[in-house]
Amino acid sequence: MAKTILIVEDDNFLQGLEATKLKKEGYEILTASNSVEAFKHIESPTKIDLILLDLLLPEVDGFMILEKIRDNKNYVTIPVIVFSNLSEEKDIKRATKLGISEFMVKSNFTLDELAKKVKDLIGV
Amino acid sequence: MILKKRKSSFKAKKKEPENLKEENKKLKKLNAVKTDLVSISAHQIRTSLSALKWIIKMFLDGDLGKLTPEQDTLLRKAFQGNERAINIVSELLLANKTENLEEKAYDFVKLDIIDTIESCIFDFTGEARSQDIEIIFLKPNGKEPFVRADKEKIRVVFQNLLENAIKYSNQHSKIFIILKENKDEVEISVKDSGIGISAEGQKRIFEKFYRDLTAQKKEVVGSGIGLFTSKQIVEKHSGKIWFESKEGEGTTFFFTIPIYKGNK
Repeated sequence: MAKTILIVEDDNFLQGLEATKLKKEGYEILTASNSVEAFKHIESPTKIDLILLDLLLPEVDGFMILEKIRDNKNYVTIPVIVFSNLSEEKDIKRATKLGISEFMVKSNFTLDELAKKVKDLIGV
Repeated sequence: MILKKRKSSFKAKKKEPENLKEENKKLKKLNAVKTDLVSISAHQIRTSLSALKWIIKMFLDGDLGKLTPEQDTLLRKAFQGNERAINIVSELLLANKTENLEEKAYDFVKLDIIDTIESCIFDFTGEARSQDIEIIFLKPNGKEPFVRADKEKIRVVFQNLLENAIKYSNQHSKIFIILKENKDEVEISVKDSGIGISAEGQKRIFEKFYRDLTAQKKEVVGSGIGLFTSKQIVEKHSGKIWFESKEGEGTTFFFTIPIYKGNK
């Protein structure tokens, strides 16, 4: 059975590109543009194997989503890759402290490199 | 009458510090707005550049069909141009941040400077090799010097200097990195035998956005921010940064950082 990835990204264009690439690699993709949509997926019965999380989101940002995920024992073990264009040390430290598998700055990586990182973390 | 005049001028003088305080407050506010504006704009630009990067890469990888050799060449150039734009935005963000940082925002730790330099050299090995440039690191024998530095920021300084040395060197040349331990500080120098800095450039090289004519002639893309940022960072470490250069013969940049003495 294919692994499921939840992409939380408010930029529809980027979200589409990320989804296309990861689908092509054989993953099931769920998408969310904000925290409400994200938690609808997270709290649904579908098992999520990895979350790809942007940080700058409308209203509730990625840090708050991450905090909420890590505070809930049901989701605490879901691997999270932060995929953002924030790159300041304080952002990396803050996300790392909350518990992430990887912090990737979008503009520094290609989608191939992202797919490779996902594969390293959860396989195909 | 004279007495009255004196009195009023005294009053005016007394008022001055208050006015200055107010002005200073306003300027600080304006500066914060500018910092935020640069940061938000840079973030938006980065997002667009990321999308462009991913799409060009998909074309180059043949995900969207086979390319003709001409299309492939042009898209590779577009990819490189986009990468340079991403670098410039990153430098701009860093300068924007560094310029406004108080010393207390630096995380000074006991740092193994040799380890930091070696890891930076490793990062640039590929780029240097592609131009047949050899990087030679000369360090003192014996006990490794520890410095008092913010690791990430001092890394930025060294990266800027090494990247410039590679960019402005001629092919098949050597870059020497020399680390010397003085009484209270270490002195690090990066010496290339490249294009050098013009006489005019030598006066202005640390100015924000300044790019020397010799560098522009070599058609190397740059933002004119790297050295400005490096100077800010070194000075926040209570160090010094300077250079020696001769047009057409090469440049050596030097900087110092205090030795760690158990003080945070």
